[in-house]
Amino acid sequence: MIELTNIVKTYVTGGVETPVLHGINFTVEEGEFVALMGPSGTGKSTLMNILGLLDRPTGGSYKLAGQDLTTLDDNGLSAIRNKRIGFVFQLFHLLPRVSVLQNVLLPFLYTEPYPPDAKERAKALLQSVGLGERMHFKPNALSGGQQQRVAIARALVNEPSIILADEPTGNLDSVASAEILEIFDRIHREGRTIVMVTHEPDVAAHALRVITLKDGAVASDERRN
Amino acid sequence: MSAADIALDVTQSRRHRAAGLRPVRLLRLARHAAGALWSQKAKAFLMMIGTAVGIMLLTAVVGLSAGVQQRIDQITAFFGPRSIMVFAGGGQLHGVGGRAEAGTTLKLQDAQAIEAQYGYEAVVAPGIFSGDANVKAGGVGTQTHVVCSTPDYSEAFDWYVQEGEPIDSDDERSMARSAVLGTTVATNLFGTEDPIGKHIFINNVPFVVKGLLTSKGTSMMGFDQDDRIWIPLSTGMNRVFHQDYIRFIRLKVRPDYKVASVVDQITQLLRQRHRIVPPEQDDFRIITPDFIAQRVQSMARTTELVGAALALVALLVGGVVLMNILLLSLSERVPEIGLKRALGARQRDILVEFLSESVLVSLFGMILGVLLGLVPVLLIPRLFPMMPMAVSWKTFAYAALFSTGVGLLFGVQPARRAAKLNPVEALR
Repeated sequence: MIELTNIVKTYVTGGVETPVLHGINFTVEEGEFVALMGPSGTGKSTLMNILGLLDRPTGGSYKLAGQDLTTLDDNGLSAIRNKRIGFVFQLFHLLPRVSVLQNVLLPFLYTEPYPPDAKERAKALLQSVGLGERMHFKPNALSGGQQQRVAIARALVNEPSIILADEPTGNLDSVASAEILEIFDRIHREGRTIVMVTHEPDVAAHALRVITLKDGAVASDERRN
Repeated sequence: MSAADIALDVTQSRRHRAAGLRPVRLLRLARHAAGALWSQKAKAFLMMIGTAVGIMLLTAVVGLSAGVQQRIDQITAFFGPRSIMVFAGGGQLHGVGGRAEAGTTLKLQDAQAIEAQYGYEAVVAPGIFSGDANVKAGGVGTQTHVVCSTPDYSEAFDWYVQEGEPIDSDDERSMARSAVLGTTVATNLFGTEDPIGKHIFINNVPFVVKGLLTSKGTSMMGFDQDDRIWIPLSTGMNRVFHQDYIRFIRLKVRPDYKVASVVDQITQLLRQRHRIVPPEQDDFRIITPDFIAQRVQSMARTTELVGAALALVALLVGGVVLMNILLLSLSERVPEIGLKRALGARQRDILVEFLSESVLVSLFGMILGVLLGLVPVLLIPRLFPMMPMAVSWKTFAYAALFSTGVGLLFGVQPARRAAKLNPVEALR
């Protein structure tokens, strides 16, 4: 479903070219749970940004479900981000001024047409991550683990096919991490595609495939059964 | 998810882009923006203060100019919208209703010449006017105003008798000692008795009352218009006041003719008759509703201009403050913008959200400003009845226009900057 062919990303600052990714090739099939590993500065985040359509590659092609996305404009990319991709960040990125429920509803601000059952969907998702009782709380009244669960509910609310998670447990203690990973396992069982950046092998162990980057290229790509 | 899904997303996004921003989405984003403002009430208040002050001044200025217009309409209605007054004596008229020096230059022959040449364009009623005539009836005496004018007086001033007969051409021709009373004089002299047919003395000249004028009440200047007697012009000139000049010629322009062109024609005619060659000054004055309107307007103009300039300055300063607060607060909202872009906000959505915030702030400033501005507009006429102030729909129209304008004008730069943020950097 995700098809990366020879993805190159080069940053230019002050006339100096800094290559970050040189020639990434891999495909991710529908329903796969992929962990993206590798030392800091190897371009994991850059690759995630390209996968998430937040950044454009300097070269190569990115196909989603067979459609080439490299030529799309901001409107097209935004529409796909909105409907097909859910993001989970290391720092949760919740909007502090609105309630947990409103945070989960945030993606629908940009969804056309607005689904009539938006609120029911958001509430059901909050129930399913165990926060049904707290949906009218402000995010900062919740623990880190709870905040990340809200973020996951938000990522899922528009029923995307792909979840992109950038070190989702990086800021959590082990108990909260375990809860979050359990939710990811469940999402995976439900058939969604997950790509997760992580540093920790025991987190990566939840994935069935581990792609390791080194110096901007794929160093290893291992499947487990 | 299939290729068709993605293709559909893309075509939909193109269609929505072609259709511009749909109102539902705009409303949704504006509501979200209102929430963002609500969470920062103190900052929002600072952002709206300049607009509020500007709109307050604007409200007061518009209130003044609406009041002036109202006053002009009243005067025009009082004066008669199609009426012209020619007064004897030249020079400048100081203020409305001010008196220039009395003149003796206007003659009955002037009025007759105007009537002969332009009588088909306007009703012409020449007259003299005495402000302090002694009137007696039986044992009762009073002072009143005496208007001496021809039978056309009624039509020229739209003032008719309610009882008895008006002064007619027989009265005029024969210098009849006939009088028509205003209701105040009638009451002063005869109480509740019917005055028709009664004898009165005006400056010791005996008259018979033949009619009673309708009541017009108190004029805008606080002058009792019913305190008057109308007698024939010939009688007044020859039997009472003994003068060969008249004080005024009243004209009422007939429906198919223009007031301005009648004014031009009689000006030419009078100059010719009086042998006046510009730049020599006229020895008569011609007053029309337009002329009065200009006088009233010019009195208020300075205040209006100063007020409008202050309002504009306040709006500009307010706008700059608004813009700077928005720019400053942008840095702390960068992560929020990055997040929203990740969740599917287009650049245009971010632009709309930020513009909505600045426009909403300006609209709240407008509400505050209108409320504050209405205080003097409503209070001043109560305290000083002569000050023209009125509430008009224009107040609200201008307030809405200018506040939205400030919000858009000064919100657009911060909003564009927010929209153009690189989502990757914003999320970092």
